[in-house]
Amino acid sequence: MIEASPVLILHGTWIPDLEAGFIQKGAFYLWVESDGKPWYLNLKALRTFLASSLNIEAPASYFIEQTLLLPTAAGQPLPSFELARYLETELPEQFEWQFWQIACYRLAASTYSAKGSPVIRLLHDLYFRVRYELNDVQFGSDLLFWHHYSQFLKGILYKDHYIPALKLRQLPAQGKRKQPVSEIYPSWQFVSAQYEAGILEYSQQMPLVCASGQTGQVGFWDRETLLRHFSENLLVDIVTHTPLPEVLSKQLGGSLVEDCLNLASPWLSSLDGVWETYQQWLIWKHRLTTARTATSFVLGLQLEAPENEGPWQLRFLVSSRSAPSWQLSLADYWGRDAEAKAQLQPYLGSQFEPQLLLALGYAARMWLPLWTGLHTDRPTGLVLTMEEAFTFLQEAAWVLEEAGYRVMVPAWWTPEGRRRAKVRLKAGSSSGSATVNKGYFSLDALVEYSYELAIGGETVSPQEWEALVAAKTPLVRFRGEWLALEQAQMAQLLGFWQSHRQAQSTMPLLEWMKFTANQPDLEVEQDATLQAVFARLKDRSRLELLPDPPGLVGTLRPYQQRGVSWLIYLEQLGLGACLADDMGLGKTIQVIARLVHEKAQGDRPGPTLLVAPTSVLGNWRKEIEKFAPQLRTMIHYGPKRITDTPTFKATSLDHDVVLTSFTLVRKDEKLLASLRWQRLVIDEAQNIKNPKAAQTKALLKISAQTRLALTGTPVENRLLDLWSIFHFLNPGYLGSAVQFRKSFELPIVRDNDRQQATILKRLVEPLILRRVKTDPQIIQDLPDKIEQKLFCQLTKEQASLYQAVTSEVARQINDTEGITRQGLILSTLMKLKQICNHPRQFLQDNSPFTPERSHKLSRLAEMTEEVIAEGESLLVFTQFHEIGTALERYFRGYRYRTYYIHGGVSRDKRERMITEFQDPASGPAVFILSLKAGGVGITLTRANHVFHFDRWWNPAVEDQATDRAFRIGQKKNVFVHKFVTLGTLEERIDQIIQDKKQLSITVVGTDESWLSTLDNERFKQLITLSENAMI
Amino acid sequence: MRQSRTWWGRRFITALEEFCDPARLSRGRAYLRNGRILSFVIADGRVTATVRGSVNPYFGTYTEPHYNTGLSLTPIPSQDWERIIARLASQASTVTRLLMNEVPEDIEASFVSCQTLLPEREQDFKTDCSCPDYENPCKHVAGVLYRLAAELDHNPLLLFELRGLSRAELHNQLRRDPLGQSLAAGLEEQSPVPELSAAYYTSPQLQTRPETSLKEFWQGSKRLPQDLTAPEPTAIPALLLKTEGDYPAFWERENSFLAAMEGIYERVRTKNQSVL
Repeated sequence: MIEASPVLILHGTWIPDLEAGFIQKGAFYLWVESDGKPWYLNLKALRTFLASSLNIEAPASYFIEQTLLLPTAAGQPLPSFELARYLETELPEQFEWQFWQIACYRLAASTYSAKGSPVIRLLHDLYFRVRYELNDVQFGSDLLFWHHYSQFLKGILYKDHYIPALKLRQLPAQGKRKQPVSEIYPSWQFVSAQYEAGILEYSQQMPLVCASGQTGQVGFWDRETLLRHFSENLLVDIVTHTPLPEVLSKQLGGSLVEDCLNLASPWLSSLDGVWETYQQWLIWKHRLTTARTATSFVLGLQLEAPENEGPWQLRFLVSSRSAPSWQLSLADYWGRDAEAKAQLQPYLGSQFEPQLLLALGYAARMWLPLWTGLHTDRPTGLVLTMEEAFTFLQEAAWVLEEAGYRVMVPAWWTPEGRRRAKVRLKAGSSSGSATVNKGYFSLDALVEYSYELAIGGETVSPQEWEALVAAKTPLVRFRGEWLALEQAQMAQLLGFWQSHRQAQSTMPLLEWMKFTANQPDLEVEQDATLQAVFARLKDRSRLELLPDPPGLVGTLRPYQQRGVSWLIYLEQLGLGACLADDMGLGKTIQVIARLVHEKAQGDRPGPTLLVAPTSVLGNWRKEIEKFAPQLRTMIHYGPKRITDTPTFKATSLDHDVVLTSFTLVRKDEKLLASLRWQRLVIDEAQNIKNPKAAQTKALLKISAQTRLALTGTPVENRLLDLWSIFHFLNPGYLGSAVQFRKSFELPIVRDNDRQQATILKRLVEPLILRRVKTDPQIIQDLPDKIEQKLFCQLTKEQASLYQAVTSEVARQINDTEGITRQGLILSTLMKLKQICNHPRQFLQDNSPFTPERSHKLSRLAEMTEEVIAEGESLLVFTQFHEIGTALERYFRGYRYRTYYIHGGVSRDKRERMITEFQDPASGPAVFILSLKAGGVGITLTRANHVFHFDRWWNPAVEDQATDRAFRIGQKKNVFVHKFVTLGTLEERIDQIIQDKKQLSITVVGTDESWLSTLDNERFKQLITLSENAMI
Repeated sequence: MRQSRTWWGRRFITALEEFCDPARLSRGRAYLRNGRILSFVIADGRVTATVRGSVNPYFGTYTEPHYNTGLSLTPIPSQDWERIIARLASQASTVTRLLMNEVPEDIEASFVSCQTLLPEREQDFKTDCSCPDYENPCKHVAGVLYRLAAELDHNPLLLFELRGLSRAELHNQLRRDPLGQSLAAGLEEQSPVPELSAAYYTSPQLQTRPETSLKEFWQGSKRLPQDLTAPEPTAIPALLLKTEGDYPAFWERENSFLAAMEGIYERVRTKNQSVL
C-alpha cells in the first residue's frame, strides 16, 4: 500500500518573456507547492529541494520569482486540486484572481549551455522519478500535461516533420523611404498534419494554470497560441543547438540552411537576390504543405506476381479520400468517355488529371523505374522484371507507403503472409515416461526436442535449403508459391542448425515454456500432446470442464467451474498458478472447490497451508465452514496456537487445511517449514511484493508439492509484483530480480519496449487466470447484483474492549428496570457497534484511525485499493457520522478522490459532489454516505461496489442504500460487500436479518427499540463475545 | 552566383562553350559573379540586359560605361510548334516532368524537322552588344548567357519562349490535348502570396475576463489520455522533403540538399540525448 506522507506538488509551465520584440522567447518554470504555509517553497527551499530530491543542481541565478495569476481567497492563494485533496480542505466557492510572486526554477531556452533546451528530457526524467521513486512528491496536472505534450512534440521531431524556414517581416516605412522594406529571418518551422492535429487536441486538455504565467493583466494566455509559442521556441532551439560534424557543416556553406542553423541576422529584402530566394523557398514550402495534401484522391500502386514465369505487373489505381473503399484502376479510368469521367468528380476532385500526373511524378521521384510507366499518354502501370519487383518490394514499397501512397503487395510479402526461413524446434513429450497420453502430461514428464530447418512451417531438407541459399534470385517459386529469400540469414541459420542438429535434449515443461517464450525467432513445432497442453493453457475454454465436486455445499458458476478445472490442470502439470480474478468473482470458493475435489478423490493428500492477511482469516474459515464443512480446518493463529514442532506436525497432518497469517509465517518460520505441504496457497499475493522482507523470504522456504497465488489486483501491469508472485510460484521462471529489472521492467516501463513486453506476456499468460467482471462471458454468468459478506474477526484491542463492555452490562442489567434498562440496552448496543468498527470510535479519544486496530478497516482499505486500481468507484455506507469523517480523512490520505455526504451537507454542495462523482471524465472515487442522509433519492451509478461498513437491523434500509448504485443507468454488475465481525453482536444481527429474509416475517422493527423487549438472558446471548471472535 | 546545376542548364553552357572565345567566357563568368549585370529582362522571347563595362583607355573609354546587350535564340516556326506540342503532350512522363518544373532528358525526341529545344550550335544564338569589342559574343554577352543558364535552372519553360513560342501560345496549344490541358492548368497555378509574419514565433494571445471554474483552472476541461506511448524515430529520414525532390531552387550548392538535410535530421534525433 502507498504510504500517506507529507506531500509536495511539482508544478510547471511555459511562460513567454515579457519584452514583446519581434523575437519573443520564453522559458519553462518549475515551482513546488507544499502542504505547509506558505503554500509555495521559497527560493532557497526550492533550490535545496531540487538539488536534494531531484538531482537538479543549478546556480542561484536560475531561481527567480515569477508572477502567476492564481485563484485566491482570504488573502491566500488557494491550494491546487492535488494539494487540496491531500489536505482534505474544501475549496471555497467564492474566490478572486490575484497575482502572486512564486519562487521558480527557470529553464530558459539554452541560454546557459551549448545544448538545446532540456525541457522535454527533464519532464520525462522527472516524471519517471516522481512516479517510481519518490513517494512524497507528485506531479500537478499542469506538469503532467506538459509531460504528455512534450512527448508528443518529441514524436514530431522524431518524424523529421519540420523544415528550414524564412519569416518575412515588414518594417514600417521610415523617413524619406517610400517603399516599405522587409526583413527575412532564417528560422525553422513545423510542417506536419499530425502537429496541427496535436495542437488542437492538446489545447483542449491544457489546464488553465499552464496559461497563467506573467500575463500582465487579469487573464490567461490563449492555449493554442501558447502551445505554438512553446513548440516553435523549442524547435528552433533544439535544431540550432544540435551538434553537427564539420563534414556536414561544409555541405551547407553559403546556403539558406546554413543561415537557418546559425540563426543568422535577418536579410534585407532589398538586397540582390534575397527576394528571389525567399520566393523560391516559399514556392517550395507551398508545394510541401498545401499542394500535396489538397488532392481528393490517393494514388495506389498494386504489385501482382506472375503465376509462374513471366513479367510482374505494377498497376496504378486511385481511391477516394472521402470514400476509401472506392477504388478505380487507371486502366479503367482512361477507358471512360468525358461524361463518365466528369461523373467521377465527387471521388477524384476537379483537378484530377494534373494532380494525378504530379502524384505519379512524385512517386517516380522516389522510385525512378516508375517513369517507364509514364511513357504514354494514358499511364496505367508498368511491367517489372523479377529483380525490379524485388527492389520495389524491398526498397520502394514502404517508402511510398510512408509518403502517403497506397501500396498493395502480394500477401506472401506481408508480415502476416510471409513464409520465413527459420530453424525449428521440434518437440514432443518424452516417450520414456509412461504417463503421457491424450493431452495428459504428467508432473514428471519431460519435453524432448530437436532442431530442424523450416520455411513457413514446412520442414526443408538441408539440400533444398542449400539450393535456396545458392539461388541467384532474391525471389523464388518454392513449393508452388513465391518466396522472398533472405540468403545471408539462411546461411547463418544453416550454420546454427549444423552445430545443433546432433542435440537431442530434454527439459521439464516449465523450462520449455521459458525457453520458447524467450526465442521469438525460433519456430516451434510440438507434437500432439504438447500442442494439446499449450492449447489448453492458452485457451481455457478447451479445458475439460469438471463438474462440481460431491460434497460442495453450493453451486459453482460456470466461470468458477472453469477456474477450478484450470487450477487442477495446472497442478497436474506441476505449474504454480496465479488466480487473479477480479474482486467479487469468488476466488475463495474456487479454491475451496479445488480442495473438495481432492478430498473426494480420496487419496488422502497432505494438508494445504493457506496464508492470508490477518483480516481475512476469519472470512476463510467461515467460507470453508459454509461450503465445505467436511474439510477439517485448523487456524494457526493467536497466543494459544501450537508452537511445539512435533505436535504442530501431527496436528497439521490430521487436518485438510491450515490457515495462518503472513505475520506468523515469519514468526513461526521453522514450525511451518517442518513438513512438506500438499499445497501452499497465498491469498492477497501482492503482500509478498517486497522480495527482501523477512516474511517473503520465510514463505519461500516452505516446501510444498504445488503453489497457488490469489490476487485481485491487475498484477500483470505491476511488474515488480508480478515478478515476486512468480518467484514464489515458479522460482527462476522470470529470472532473478536483477535480471528481471534489466530485461523486462526497465525496457517496458521506461522505454516502452514492445518486444520485451510481448515476451513477458507470453511467459506469464499461461500461468495467470484473470477474469474481469466486465468480460461479457463473465457477465452472462453473474447476476446483476452480487452480494457477499465479509467476515472479519476482532483485533485483540477490540476484543478486550468488547469484553469489558459486555461484562459491565451483564453486571448492571439485572439491577435496572424500565426506562433506565431500555437506555442501558440501547447505549450498550451503540458501544458494541462502535467497538466492532474501530476502537477509536468507541474511545472517542482521537487516537490513530489505523487499520492495525480494526480488521474491518484494514479489509476495507485493501479492497478499496483494488477497486481504485481497477479504475472503478465505490460507495461506503455507515450509520455513524464519526466513522464517515474518519474514513473520509483516511482515504484522502491515500489521495483517492473522496466525497462524503451526511446530514450536515448543504443541498447545493451535495448536488455538486454527485455531479462530479458521476462525471465520466473524472477518475475513480470513493463516496462515503451516512445511511440516513444518503439512503434515498440520489443516483450514484458510477460506483459498482457498495460497502456496508456496519449493519442495520432492517435489510430494506440496506437494500435501499445499495440501490444508489444499482439503478437505471448502471451498466456494470454491482458488487455489494457487507462487513460482519465474527462472534459479535454483528454476526447475530446478520443471522437475524437472514432469518427474517428467509421467513419473510416482520418480527423486528426498523429500529432497535424492539431489542429492549428481550429478556435479560436473551439480551446477554445477543451481545456475548463468542469464542471465534478472535479465532 | 553558381552557374548551373541542371542537365539542361549545363547543356546550354556546353553549347556556348563550343563557339565562344574561352577568355571572354571566363570574363563573362566574372561579370556574373561581380554583379555587373545591372538589369536583365526577358520579354517577347528576347533577353535585354544592361552590363556595367570597365574603363579601358585603349578603346577610349575613360568613364565606366553601361552597355546594352541583347540575346535571343533562333525561333522555331509556328507550324512546327503545333506538331511538337502535340507530341510532347502525348507522353505523360514529359508532361509530368514539365509540371514539376524539370526538362525531361528525352525532350528532344519530340522535336521535328531537325529542330531542338536547347541551342546546340552558334547558329542557334543571336547576340549583340553595344560595346566596342569586335568579337561577338563578347564578354558582356557571355555574362548574360551565364545568367540566362542560371535562370533556366528554375524556369526551364523559358526555353519555349526563347524559341519563339510565347507563354500564351504555349497554353493555347497545350489545351488541345488532354494531358496538355493538365500541364496548362498546372502552369497557370498562381504562385503563393508572401506570408508576413507578425512575430518570429507565434505570439501568445491574451484572453482577459477569466471566467473559469477552479476545476478547469487546475485540471483542464478534457482529461489527458491514460497511456502515453514513447515516440519512435522515423524509419525513413526526411521523407517529407523527399517528395519535393532534390536541389530546390533556393539550394545553390552542388552537393545534395536531401543528403545534407538527412544529416541534420539524423543528428537532431540522435545527438540530443540530454535534450529529447
